[in-house]
Amino acid sequence: MLDFLLGLCILFPIAAGGTIFFAKDKSLQKNIVVLTGGVLAAASLLLITYVPTQTTPDSGLASFLHVPIIVCDFLLLAVIFVIGLRRMSTAVMALAGLQLAGMVMLKFFWHGEAATPLPVFTVDSLAIVMVLVISILGSAIAYYADSYMREHEAHLGLSQSRRNRFFAIILVFLGAMNALSLADDLSWMFFFWEITTLCSYLLIEHDGTTEAKTNALNALVINMLGGAAFMFALLFLQRTTGTLSLTALMHIKMAGELKTAMLMIPMVALCIAGFTKSAQIPFQSWLCGAMVAPTPVSALLHSSTMVKAGVYLILRLAPLYEGTTISSMVAVCGSFTFFAAAALAAGQSNGKRILAYSTISNLGLIIACAGINTTASIAAGIMLLVFHAISKGLLFLCVGSIEQKIGSRDIEDMRGLFAVMPRTALITCFAILTMMLPPFGMLLAKWMALESAIDARAAMPAIVAMLALGSGLTVLFWARWAGIMLGSATTKLVVAKEKQDPDMALVLRGLAYTAGIVSLLAPIVYMGLALPAAGSSTTAAGHVNPTAIYAIYPIYFLVAVGFRYAWKEAQKAEDMAPSLPYMSGIQAEQNGEVGFIGPMKTFVPAQSGNYYLESFFGESRLTKPVNLVGLVLLVMLLGGVLQ
Amino acid sequence: MMILGKLLLGVIGLALATFIGGFISGLDRKITARMQSRFGPPLAQPFYDVLKLWGKAPMAVNAWLVLCAYLTLMASALSVFLFFAQSDLLLIFFVMTIGAVFQVMGALSVNSPFSHVGAQRELLQMFTYEPLIILVIIGIAMHTGSFSIASIYALDTPLLYSMPFLYVALGIAFTIKLRKSPFDISASHHGHQEIVRGVLTEYTGRQLAMLEVAHWLDVVLLLGLCSLFWSTSAIGLFLLLAVTYFAELFVDNVSARLTWGWMIKRALGPGVALAMVNLLWLYAIK
Repeated sequence: MLDFLLGLCILFPIAAGGTIFFAKDKSLQKNIVVLTGGVLAAASLLLITYVPTQTTPDSGLASFLHVPIIVCDFLLLAVIFVIGLRRMSTAVMALAGLQLAGMVMLKFFWHGEAATPLPVFTVDSLAIVMVLVISILGSAIAYYADSYMREHEAHLGLSQSRRNRFFAIILVFLGAMNALSLADDLSWMFFFWEITTLCSYLLIEHDGTTEAKTNALNALVINMLGGAAFMFALLFLQRTTGTLSLTALMHIKMAGELKTAMLMIPMVALCIAGFTKSAQIPFQSWLCGAMVAPTPVSALLHSSTMVKAGVYLILRLAPLYEGTTISSMVAVCGSFTFFAAAALAAGQSNGKRILAYSTISNLGLIIACAGINTTASIAAGIMLLVFHAISKGLLFLCVGSIEQKIGSRDIEDMRGLFAVMPRTALITCFAILTMMLPPFGMLLAKWMALESAIDARAAMPAIVAMLALGSGLTVLFWARWAGIMLGSATTKLVVAKEKQDPDMALVLRGLAYTAGIVSLLAPIVYMGLALPAAGSSTTAAGHVNPTAIYAIYPIYFLVAVGFRYAWKEAQKAEDMAPSLPYMSGIQAEQNGEVGFIGPMKTFVPAQSGNYYLESFFGESRLTKPVNLVGLVLLVMLLGGVLQ
Repeated sequence: MMILGKLLLGVIGLALATFIGGFISGLDRKITARMQSRFGPPLAQPFYDVLKLWGKAPMAVNAWLVLCAYLTLMASALSVFLFFAQSDLLLIFFVMTIGAVFQVMGALSVNSPFSHVGAQRELLQMFTYEPLIILVIIGIAMHTGSFSIASIYALDTPLLYSMPFLYVALGIAFTIKLRKSPFDISASHHGHQEIVRGVLTEYTGRQLAMLEVAHWLDVVLLLGLCSLFWSTSAIGLFLLLAVTYFAELFVDNVSARLTWGWMIKRALGPGVALAMVNLLWLYAIK
């Protein structure tokens, strides 16, 4: 049964992807997407009952996959090499070549025989969190993409639909993400890791514009760099420990058989691989560039797949580097990215760029949690991973819908969006609130992260200062976006109904409810998934307060009652005397716009814009110094090995 | 029983805080007036003001503003309640943020340039005081080993002895949160200035009354945070608060309104630096 469920989580979407590639009919494509989503969601939920288990190499699935994976490993790297050749990118060719050489070494020369049979897949709390996020959110995004791509392709006016290619990649992507979360063997994880690299390359360049191609290549180079670091770690581990199994490595670390430095060199390499995948500073450029892809791709890359693989790896390895200088440096790097990316987000008016920088920032916070490396901090990191995935996925889909309607992704153009798209504006607003305010999950997780930060082993003042500044900036860029969207000149709380594609509306609503309900279940997620996932991996407890988290329920209650009362009162505003905003003169209204009567008795509409504080947070001003600091921190991380 | 006791304490504290907040506001105006050689209004004037605003004919620019006014007041009340119920310091701070955010969102929901400028500036003020308060709370937790208020009352010596610089940082945050000069950037004291009343411009009648009460509660909450620095004796606590608030008034009366750029450079920078020095100090002796 376990093999069957694992097969459904990993092989089913890959097979469905293969099928959809040859399905030309749109409704058939949709059915395959729906079916895969349903199967993934059901299988991932059933898989919870198996936590914690491991499969042995002689299990059916593992022995079935053993040879194909080796073959595909070579094929995959060869494909990437060919892409490098066709795009004439020496960097890609060199990195793919290096990894190919490494793969040859690993598979033909250095492969050791394990004395005891080792697990191939590990189904523990941490893995199941990832599988749930990927399977459920990923499927919802794929379902949304079906309607989105119809509109998108109509807009582009393609002579031949490329939907089959698009959905094939997305489904394979989901399968690969599930596999890499469940893999216990690092060489298997590497294979699926590189599949996600290739998939994201293909998705970013999907529209085929020059910009898309350039940015896709950039993403490929940066992620291949991480892949090369990953390969280096594999070779090093194989040579020194003779095993690539995470379980075996844990035993080695526990027994203290190996000199710390010997284990830390590959750990640093793997952390750098995680940094590239999670677009941590200075590797952030690829994720910002990835926005050229159709919006569901961004939603997928940012919320449930790709970037989450990086933080997952770093969280997964946390027990292996626990208590070392490396761990402290990881915390510093993460908290720096949290702060710097939030500052970059504060300087943006492009909605998707704000979302991108906020993703990078939040991933930084997760990595900081991994680096602080106590049970409490890792649990906080896992909570962040879950809640960020839900809210960020929702936000991207909202921006996608808004962009298709108003033709812009600039938040200045979303002023008064409530009048145009009332429901979407409200959902977007709600999604933003779930990112930054209590009692929603993201904030609870951030609260736990901050509290656990005081247990940081080293550099604690620097870490908390960056976390404090970063959270201040987070509120700044979210609040102004939410505020201007509500802009309205009527005393009615809910105006006209909104016409929207029913499937897209369903996903937006569904995810909004999910964000709310999962926040409500936050204590259960924490006690049931996050804490066991963290507890299984680390020894230092830190600030764990299991009762404190339940104390949030009275607050939920008060907030809900209060909000309901406030909403009722606000509905009464309809009966109040309407007034126009103060304009230091004769205020007036014309065609729903407010303004004043200016010279020559002409109507002057009121206009204003957000402060984007270019002099402090402008991209052109910040990017260089921020990258420099990021690079220095990375060198310090490398230096941590010498300790 | 303990929980019930705490809840009761929270409710009583909240009720008292509303009164005390109003009287502090009255005292504020009185002392300010005396500093400016005026006689000043009666001590209870803020209550008269709020009652008068409450009785105004209901009027609204849009419904969001009404919703946001209610939410702002509720969040402030909840944070004060949690403070007196001796909850987790960071949680109290985050609940306070709800109020600040909704106030700004309400101001942004009206298409009024004055209100917008005020809202943008208020966001910058929040960005300036929030990190300082978080660092103060973290400093307290480093010292007591816990984020709960109860653990501070278990101390034998006042926190101020070990966290003097963090207290100064809190003082800066306090001035910004109170919107006292030089930080009355987002809402000028007087309605006839270049941004009118900034973030408050479009709130009228009951909405304004609610924001006024919310502001009293915020003042009490911040004074409450200050009071934690001298938790060992009632006299010490009172003196510390009196001196602190008088210093706020003094600074308010001797300085002019400055710009947000100045605030970020000259308040956030040194504030964080002071906090860091103190944190390093606590870190070293830990």
